[in-house]
Amino acid sequence: MSAPVLTEQTVPPVAPAAVRRSWYSYLRQPSAALSVLVLLVMVVMAVFAPLIADEPVGAGADVLQSPSGAHWFGTDDLGQDIFAQVVWGTRTSLVIGLAASVIAIVLGTAIGLASAYFRPIDAVATVITDVMLALPTLPLMIMLAAVVNPSVWTLTMIIGFFAWPEVARLIRSQGLVVSAMPYIDGARVLGATGWRIVTREILPAVVSLVIVSVLLTASRAVISEAGLSFLGLGDPDAWSWGRILLNAQRSGVIAIAWWQTLFPSLAILLLVLSATVAGMRFNDTRDPRRNGG
Amino acid sequence: MARFVLSRALKAVLTVWIAITSTFFLLRLLPGDPTSLMVEGDMTPEMQAALLKTYGLDRPLWEQYVSYLRELLQGNLGISFRQIQPVADIIVDRLPWTLLLAGSAFVITIAVGIPIGVSAAVHRGRWLDRTLQALGIGGHALFVPSVAMLLLVFLGARLGWFPIGGAIDPDTRGAAAYLSLAHHLVLPVLSLVLVQLGPYALTLRTNMIEVLGEDYIRAAQARGLSARRRVWKHGLRNAILPALTLMGLQLGTLVGGAVLTETVFAYPGVGRLIFEAVGQQDYPVLQGAFIMLAVTVVAANALTDMLYAVLNPRIRL
Repeated sequence: MSAPVLTEQTVPPVAPAAVRRSWYSYLRQPSAALSVLVLLVMVVMAVFAPLIADEPVGAGADVLQSPSGAHWFGTDDLGQDIFAQVVWGTRTSLVIGLAASVIAIVLGTAIGLASAYFRPIDAVATVITDVMLALPTLPLMIMLAAVVNPSVWTLTMIIGFFAWPEVARLIRSQGLVVSAMPYIDGARVLGATGWRIVTREILPAVVSLVIVSVLLTASRAVISEAGLSFLGLGDPDAWSWGRILLNAQRSGVIAIAWWQTLFPSLAILLLVLSATVAGMRFNDTRDPRRNGG
Repeated sequence: MARFVLSRALKAVLTVWIAITSTFFLLRLLPGDPTSLMVEGDMTPEMQAALLKTYGLDRPLWEQYVSYLRELLQGNLGISFRQIQPVADIIVDRLPWTLLLAGSAFVITIAVGIPIGVSAAVHRGRWLDRTLQALGIGGHALFVPSVAMLLLVFLGARLGWFPIGGAIDPDTRGAAAYLSLAHHLVLPVLSLVLVQLGPYALTLRTNMIEVLGEDYIRAAQARGLSARRRVWKHGLRNAILPALTLMGLQLGTLVGGAVLTETVFAYPGVGRLIFEAVGQQDYPVLQGAFIMLAVTVVAANALTDMLYAVLNPRIRL
């Protein structure tokens, strides 16, 4: 399924004190606090990977060890430590997830806002968005990734480029609501240019939706990256959770070495789940109907 | 009605055309020499030129595009680099398996998702509803190969309840063959259903809650119809159509999931073909597989929309 359904409404600008209060009420929800904590732990793991575990290279003596004190997540058929692979994989997942999400958000927000305010652009943009949403994205990304040299950079570009339509559609629908508001007419009467209205008046009204989209798009990007790496289209020089699963699949000992499947799977689940929950709770917090504000 | 069907079909054709055209140009604009993708090792410049000429890659881009489209319309998807066989033949051999897998997952998700979504909507805030909300969000975080591989390891390899790969036991005949087919299908379909079900049922619940608040449901209540009749006959009838369209919109994701599931279970469909083609850098097969899957998804989506128009009495076309 695609991104979770978000409630759409317009939020007027809020004073700094209210922002602090809403951050407080956001983090007071246990599920939100826990998700943010998990995300922070993942970021720490990614940044300090070399301090936590040695980069897994070459073959080791301990082949196919089950999880133990020496190898928390066990070892694979080459004797490499799975825990180290998972820790180093966090880097790739987070970097690609975030960077692809930023590309998608910038493209999607620009296209969504432009089509919400400028009618002629809307016709073209809606056709392109509909076409991209109607196509099976994974086979499309596979085809392109197979042709270019796979690297963290090219994967980020490919994933980011195919993730923007969902963002564009979301931003457009809220942008349309905002464009119809009297204060936009007011700005036009005062002689504001289209560019000024879009960037100064409409963009601030949809900015919280943009923040939510960053988290939800990043979680989809992480899933896409894992899928491409699992199919053998990942960066051969970077560890990735999808690549660990591919190795497990290829090793032929998948029935014995269940740990090689379970731990990277849990890592994907935890990261994507926390990003999704953090995004959805943020969306609830900014909804005045829910928090009585 | 005829006008709606025609315009919907036209939109589907337009979608496919845009997809084919943009990927054609995108692939040729990307860096990389096409001949280096075809043959390993060094080639003399003459060999390279001859190869380019064979595949028509020495002509201007627009000429290549026109002849590419003409060939496509005649069902020619090119020749596989590795198997020296028309790509269309290879894919047509594999497509039924993918349709069987994705189609079964599609039907089962709807069949199981509707009662769960409706019950959760009726008993709001009860345990089923709360579980569904958790599963609905959790479903977005499930990675298809993870689910598939864990099912394979535990239900397939360790407990031995289901086969761990393939689509059918080639030694079986008659009824036994169908049984074997179904037996091999269980784990791949289950992987897809587990990932799709939660989010699908959750969205259905939201639709249903909206429908149950409508005036005609209250009118039915005022007329003294039982709760069961109100929900399952009047409510569901109106919630089921959007539920169908909703699933139609998810077809692209479903096909992506099928590609990954087939890879895990060595299921002989288009997805497994894609995985093999990635390993062999068989790039016409990848392009052909994308086009065929795109046509399938867009056509199925258009059909769901047409079905919606036929079944929905409020749309008089």
